[in-house]
Amino acid sequence: MSSNLPILLFLVPFVTGIAMPMLTAKRRSWCGPLAMAAQSLMVVLGIVNLRTVLSEGSIEYALGGWAAPLGIAWIDDPLAAVMVLTVSIIALLTLIYSGVVASSSLDKSMPYYTLILLLVSGLVGIVFAADLFNVFVFLEVVAISAYALVGAAGGSALVYAFRYLLLGSLGATLYLLGVAHLYAVTGTLNMADLAVRLPEIITSTAVAGGLIYIFLGLSIKMALIPLHGWLPDAYASAPGAVTPLLAGTVTKVSLVAWVRIEYSLIAPGIEVGHVPVLVLLEELGVIAALVGGALALIQTDLRRMFAYGGISHVGLILIGVSLGNPTGFAGGLFYLINDAFMQAALFMIAGAMVHYYGARSLNDLRSMQQRSPWLTGTLVIVAIAMVGLPPTGGFFGKWNIVLGALEAQHYLAAFAVVASTLLTLAYFVRILTNWFHQPQTADSEPLVVSRSLSFCLGFVSIAMIALGLLSDSIFEFLLQTGGGV
Amino acid sequence: MIHPHDSAIVRTLGRIVVPVAQLFGFYVLIFGQHGPGGGFVGGVVLAASMILAILIFGVNADDSRLAQIVLHGDGLGLLIFAGVGGLCLIGGGQFLNYTHLEIPALDEPSRHYLGIMLTQIGVAADVAVTGVSIAISLSFEGDEVSHG
Repeated sequence: MSSNLPILLFLVPFVTGIAMPMLTAKRRSWCGPLAMAAQSLMVVLGIVNLRTVLSEGSIEYALGGWAAPLGIAWIDDPLAAVMVLTVSIIALLTLIYSGVVASSSLDKSMPYYTLILLLVSGLVGIVFAADLFNVFVFLEVVAISAYALVGAAGGSALVYAFRYLLLGSLGATLYLLGVAHLYAVTGTLNMADLAVRLPEIITSTAVAGGLIYIFLGLSIKMALIPLHGWLPDAYASAPGAVTPLLAGTVTKVSLVAWVRIEYSLIAPGIEVGHVPVLVLLEELGVIAALVGGALALIQTDLRRMFAYGGISHVGLILIGVSLGNPTGFAGGLFYLINDAFMQAALFMIAGAMVHYYGARSLNDLRSMQQRSPWLTGTLVIVAIAMVGLPPTGGFFGKWNIVLGALEAQHYLAAFAVVASTLLTLAYFVRILTNWFHQPQTADSEPLVVSRSLSFCLGFVSIAMIALGLLSDSIFEFLLQTGGGV
Repeated sequence: MIHPHDSAIVRTLGRIVVPVAQLFGFYVLIFGQHGPGGGFVGGVVLAASMILAILIFGVNADDSRLAQIVLHGDGLGLLIFAGVGGLCLIGGGQFLNYTHLEIPALDEPSRHYLGIMLTQIGVAADVAVTGVSIAISLSFEGDEVSHG
C-alpha cells in the first residue's frame, strides 16, 4: 500500500473537495470540519510518505500501470515529499485560522472549502508530476482555484482577481507554448526522457525558445520581478482567511516546478548562444531579490509590504538553486520551505490585525491600544527568521546560499543576499517602530486572541525555529535531490 | 432568465431534435471505444441537447426537467472517475490500472473494457453538468444565482 502514497495524497483533498457539495447538501455547517478532517488525514499521510521516502528511497508512480515514458509518471523524491508535507501543514493551519478571521458568509460557504481543497490537490499534483504536460494541468487547477479565492472578498478584490486571471492565463499559455516546442522537437513530455534527448539538441532555436517560454510562463506564476504585477494587489485584497495558504504555497510550488525542469533538462554550465543559462537565471534572481526588498521598504500597506517581501525571497531562492553547486541548491530549497512558513506567519498576523483592530496600513498600527502577546511574539520571531538570524531556519538557508555563492565565486550573488537581508531588516524596523509606537500603559489589558489563532501562531513560530534546529538533517536529504548538480 | 420561445415551429422542432441529440450523445459516448468519440465529446453533445431544451422551453419548463436534475450532479462524474481509480487501488494495482479492477467473474479484457467505459461515463457526466451549469448561470443575468 505504501507505494500508492503519492496518489492517496492527491486523492484525499481532491475527492473530499468534489464530494463536498453532496456530503454537505443537508448541513452546510459540516463543510469546515470535513475540510479540516481531510487536511489532517493528508498531514498524517504526508508524514508517512516522508518517512517512507527517507527510508526506502524515491517512489516512481506509474498511473494506470503504464510505465513512463508512454504512461504518466509521478515522482515522489525527498524534495516532493517535504514540499507536500509543507503544503498540507500550511493548508491545515490556514483552515484552522480561517475559522477565526473568515467573515461569516465565507465561513459557511461550501464553494470556499471546495476551492481550498482543489487548490491543495493541484499543488500536490505539481510537486509530484514528472511530466511537463501534467505540470501544466495542475498549474491551471491551482490557478483557477486561486483566482476564485482571491475574488471571494468581493468589491475591489474582483478587479485584482481578474487581473490575476489575465496574467495567470498568459503565464499558462506561455508555458504550454514552451511545452509544445519541446514536444515538437523531441516527441516526448516525460522529464526523464527529455533529459536524455535534449542535451544533443540544446543549441537548437526551438529548444532554447521552448525553455524560455516555459521559464517566462512559470516566472509569472512565481511572481519573479518584473512579472510580479498581479501579486501585491491580489494578496492585499484577498480574504484574510486564505492569504496564508496562497502566499505560503502557490508561488513556491511554481518555483519547485521550475527547479524540477531546470535540473532535469538543463545541465549545469550549459550555454545557449554563449549565454551561460544558470548565470542568467542567477542574475534574474539578484534583480528580484534587490528590487523586491526595495519595493517592500516603500510600502505603507502592511499586506503589500509582506507581499513584496515574498517576491524578494523568490529571487533569493532562485539565486540559490541557480548557483550550480549542491550547497547553494540545498540552501535555496531549504530557504523555500522556510519561506512557506514565514509567508504564512506574516499573512496570519496581517489578517489578524485586520480582524481585531481593522488595521491595514503601518499608520493604523500606531493607534493600536492593546497589543496581543501572541501576535507580537510571532511578529518578532518571523522578523528574526526573515532577516535571517540564528537559530531560525531563515539563517541557515541564507547562510548556505551565501556559502554556495562564494564557492562558485559569484560575489554579486553573495552581495545580493546580504543586501536583501539589510532591506528586510529595514522594513521590519519600520513595522516594529510603528507596532511599539503606543507605550503600553500599566492598566491596559493585553488583547486575548482566540485559542485557535494562538495555536496557529504558536505552530508557525515553533516551525520556523525547529527548521533551524533540524537544518542539518533536512539539508542532507535535500542534497540527495540535488545530488546530480 | 431565459424565457420560452414563442414560435410553434421552433418548439415542435425542439421536441424532435432534443431526444435525437441525446441519443446521439449516448451513441458517441459508447462508440468511443471503437472509433472517434468518447466521454468528452459525448458529454458535450448531451450538454448541448439540454441547453437547447433550456433555450427553447425555458429553464423551468417540464421539457427541461432533465437539465434541472442534472444541475445537482456537481462532481458526480469526477467521483465516478475517482471511484473506479479507487477500486483499482483496493485491488492492489496503481490508480486506474484496470487489470486490478476487482470485479469477480470478469476476465482481464472485460475489466479493461468496463473500467474505461465507466471512467468515460464519469467524464461525460462531468462535462454535461458543467455545460448546463454554465448555461443556467449565464441565464440568470443580474439575479442571484443559487444552486449547488
